[in-house]
Amino acid sequence: MNHQIISLFIDDELTLNEKIEFVEEVHGSKPFKDEAIELLQQEKLLRSDPVERIPERKLKTSRPHILRFLRPVFIAATAAAATLIFVFFPFTPQQTPETPYRFVVYRPDVSRVEIAGSFTGWNAVPMKRVGDSGYWEHTINLPQGEYRFSYLLNGGERLPDPTIPTREKDDFGSENTILSIGGRTT
Amino acid sequence: MSEYGLFYRDCRNRIFNYLMRLTGDYGMAGDIMQETFTRHLEHYGKDNREIPLLYRIARNLFTDEWRRSKHFAAGEMEGEEPSIDQEHRLMVRSEYRSVLSAMASLEEDEREILSLTAGGDLSYTEIASLVGISEANVKVKVHRARLKLKKLLKEGDG
Repeated sequence: MNHQIISLFIDDELTLNEKIEFVEEVHGSKPFKDEAIELLQQEKLLRSDPVERIPERKLKTSRPHILRFLRPVFIAATAAAATLIFVFFPFTPQQTPETPYRFVVYRPDVSRVEIAGSFTGWNAVPMKRVGDSGYWEHTINLPQGEYRFSYLLNGGERLPDPTIPTREKDDFGSENTILSIGGRTT
Repeated sequence: MSEYGLFYRDCRNRIFNYLMRLTGDYGMAGDIMQETFTRHLEHYGKDNREIPLLYRIARNLFTDEWRRSKHFAAGEMEGEEPSIDQEHRLMVRSEYRSVLSAMASLEEDEREILSLTAGGDLSYTEIASLVGISEANVKVKVHRARLKLKKLLKEGDG
């Protein structure tokens, strides 16, 4: 018996005759049945979500189209404009003021807490345990604006900040905290 | 949200997961996923809803942009110079890390075919057309790759 039929079963590629053959084999051969179960379990794992959450990427609905033959002209014009601006307007770098913001959460019952938010590109950043107080903290410099974030407990469970009431549901059925710094809302 | 926005929301996970299995790289999978939809929208318009086409675009982008580097992040998980940062690695579910490590040990064509079948969106006929091999060959390769993955996962447990 060619065990390749197990993969055809997993991928819904069996013909009716092959389905009959498969069922008979499952009932008649324990090694065949065991291999089928093992491969099905493996496939279940393989088809599960690889990551806690996929990265936040906005759908780019349009981007500038520059005709190929115009590109050198465009580049030259941009360079000339940049030079003029540089000559006629003194260059004064503008910096967006950033304020250190300390995130604190009380979870004495977990071994790892991370924070993931729009300010980390939704990457999980480990928080630091504050002694044996049960508190976890992480400080980050943030400019004025509105941010979304949530805590990750033990690398899995997500927890919105219990001290901030403004929240919104995300696409994954969890809630994110909405944090507004400097009173600005977008 | 526009209708295409809804399509994007519904399909981005499956394209991202395909790319994640294929590359083992969180950032790269995210970048190619985003570019896939941008190109799909640009070249095929907002009314096109062909999921196999999304896989084709994603695969082509992966081939064009990244394959030359022969890069597979999961294979470097235990290495001394990981190419993806710690934060990205933390996003991989702990129970899936062994899967990505095992996938990294597969031959490129085996990893590709398992990444495609794992999505559950494509028939063997569609996969054969996408990869450029016969359907009979797909059948052989899929099963062979599954057995190899099983062996690698067992070795990883041991």
